[in-house]
Amino acid sequence: MNFAGRFGASFRREAAFLARNPWDLALLTWLPLVLCALIAWQLSGGVVRDLPVALVDAERSALSRDIAIRIEGAPGLRLAFTVTDMGEAEALARAGTVEAIVLVPAEATQRAFAGRGQIMLYVNAAHSAASSTIQRDMAAIIAAANAREAVEQIAAVSQPGTVRPAPLKVSSVIAFNAPASQEQQLVSLLHPALLHLLFMLAVVSAFGRELRDATVAEWRPDGAALAGKAALYVLAFMAWGAGVTAYLAGFRGWALASAPVLLMAGYFAMFTAYAGVSLLLVGLTRCMSQSLSLTGLYAGASFAFAGAIFPVDQASGFAKVWAEVLPFTHFARLLALNWITGAPAAVAAAPLLPLALIALVTAVPGVWLYMRAAQRPQDWGKR
Amino acid sequence: MWAAFRAVFAAIIADRAAALLLFGAPILYAVLYPSAYSGELVVDAPVVVVDLDRSAASRDLVRRAAAVSQVQLVASLASPREVQDWLAADKASAAIIIPEGYGRAIAQGRSGEVMLAGSGAHLLRSSTALSGIGAALASTAREAAFEQARAAGPAAPPALALITRPLFNTREGYGAAVFPGVAFIIVHQSLLLGLALLAGTAREKLGAPLSVTAAQFAGLWLAAGTIAMAQVCWFVGFVFWWQDYPRGAAPLWQVLMGASLFVAATAALVLLLASLFRTRERPLQLGLGISLPLFFLSGLTWPAAATPEPVVWFARLFPTTPGLEVMVGLNQMGGTLTDHAGALVNLALLAAVFGAVAFWRWTSPQRPPAPFGPDAA
Repeated sequence: MNFAGRFGASFRREAAFLARNPWDLALLTWLPLVLCALIAWQLSGGVVRDLPVALVDAERSALSRDIAIRIEGAPGLRLAFTVTDMGEAEALARAGTVEAIVLVPAEATQRAFAGRGQIMLYVNAAHSAASSTIQRDMAAIIAAANAREAVEQIAAVSQPGTVRPAPLKVSSVIAFNAPASQEQQLVSLLHPALLHLLFMLAVVSAFGRELRDATVAEWRPDGAALAGKAALYVLAFMAWGAGVTAYLAGFRGWALASAPVLLMAGYFAMFTAYAGVSLLLVGLTRCMSQSLSLTGLYAGASFAFAGAIFPVDQASGFAKVWAEVLPFTHFARLLALNWITGAPAAVAAAPLLPLALIALVTAVPGVWLYMRAAQRPQDWGKR
Repeated sequence: MWAAFRAVFAAIIADRAAALLLFGAPILYAVLYPSAYSGELVVDAPVVVVDLDRSAASRDLVRRAAAVSQVQLVASLASPREVQDWLAADKASAAIIIPEGYGRAIAQGRSGEVMLAGSGAHLLRSSTALSGIGAALASTAREAAFEQARAAGPAAPPALALITRPLFNTREGYGAAVFPGVAFIIVHQSLLLGLALLAGTAREKLGAPLSVTAAQFAGLWLAAGTIAMAQVCWFVGFVFWWQDYPRGAAPLWQVLMGASLFVAATAALVLLLASLFRTRERPLQLGLGISLPLFFLSGLTWPAAATPEPVVWFARLFPTTPGLEVMVGLNQMGGTLTDHAGALVNLALLAAVFGAVAFWRWTSPQRPPAPFGPDAA
């Protein structure tokens, strides 16, 4: 048989196996669907809204009422409690009932007239997404309150001509993601993070299973057969990659900044690289359960190392190196350039190179080790 | 009961894969995972600047912005058009654009305008860089006010200042915000995969559903709970201290009480799931993928207030959701058991329901066949 023939035969053999084994098929059918849908549904709000806030009103003035109304009006906040005692508010924060405490201290109004008014914001930094939303909304509230105070209060008591605009006017924008929605950023990364882990589990299982059950004896793989087997999984997960992209870019409206061809090429390169790693793990351990455990270790924490949400630039040297050997890191870079910022194709395609390199460096010894194990009956049946 | 308890540990020691999952994984992850977050704070985010004004005032502003620890100026560009390219190529996280006329406006007592642009590709890094630059601009504004005052008399200072104080994670590190929750996902997954692997292996060797007495079942639950509790103690007692994460905010007995309920519920769920597997490797194949969704469902990073109601209810079916609330609430935030009564009841209910179903599956003599096995063919 020629290459194409052996490739196709291996592909069909794997498809027939999956058709008989619903729990193996689950890894590339309903399990990715359920997990991706769950994440997508949870984050479909996109922007954090209605976070409960406690207002400690130690003054009971027009100013504190103004701030209370503004908190109610802010999209991210909800005035859950108004109390007069700081201790009471602290208890609410400790219980997690409120995410933040806004303190309007006594004499705040009087101090504001002197230009020394202070509003304290205590925010639960253990909840990162919530705390950044609250800080942003509160800063806007105080800026708006200031603008009003300047016009209505201070101008009335000051000498004419002394009320001037602030000397610096700053306008800031978030480029490429104007509403600063976390849905696009998180979901676009979480979906491939889930898919690559499931892909690796499926491929490790597919190769590991043949050694475990000693079915390699009958399969007798060569390079073409190995490629044919992996191709089925690459194809299935490419379909999922296209599906989740269509969901977020089409259905949810987070349109791609550039053509989707490059993103799909990125998916292909990432899956190929993970297929190489999978083959290497199975070839090294020749044991399905150990390879699966190592898969968890290798691909389980990719999301933390990708540096897309929390930067890894300042992390330890080990973390930086580890991030570079994870294909997902490079894919996340490509995704940011291709989907969000719309960099020129030449720039956005750069991460394809390290992906191809990882695929090559792992697949070559992986194929050699696996083929050797396939010919040694003493390597079969290990549990 | 004690025989079953000891048998679990004997089985773990005899099985390298199970030992790796139950004892090795918590140790490896305690080193691996925090290392991703060892930077903790955004420092030296790359920022580009476009100074179209080229005045003393604009140079002063650039100098101040460059001095902020969150910022590293990587380039000075000639036009806003180039900024677009730098942000698009992800070579910069934020940009400062000073239009022409900035210095003159300040000198004349008007507002000097500055534009800041952050990249949407990295929301956290760009917003941190922007807030650092904002702090630098505030000091520039104060000095500019002085300059203006010499010519035109004092301006009205802003009436109100907002002073922000972080609670519970006072350094606002992101490892400290994430890992104290992730640790309990690791405990859950380690126990689930390790014990289900053992149960699947035993079931495979026996060739029939495992059946135990009530006392033996109690021994299994106790063994599972002991391992999970040891892992919780390892993370809460050692790793959080070693990594210097916020910890120990509530009295020890309350943390232990909360941990016991989390452990009981997790062990119950794990025993129930373990009874479903007929193949050794199957739990690893199907279980490893759920870690990330479990973490997001727990609501630590994505608040329940922003999650659709049905998803919030669904999330409560997993011990990790109320478990994280209780453990982070007690240990990091210093709440009390009464503050988290709802989550504790949730855990107790899960322990009771999962425990009862698991008991029925493990002890009933004629059991329905386990679904997660190789098929007849």
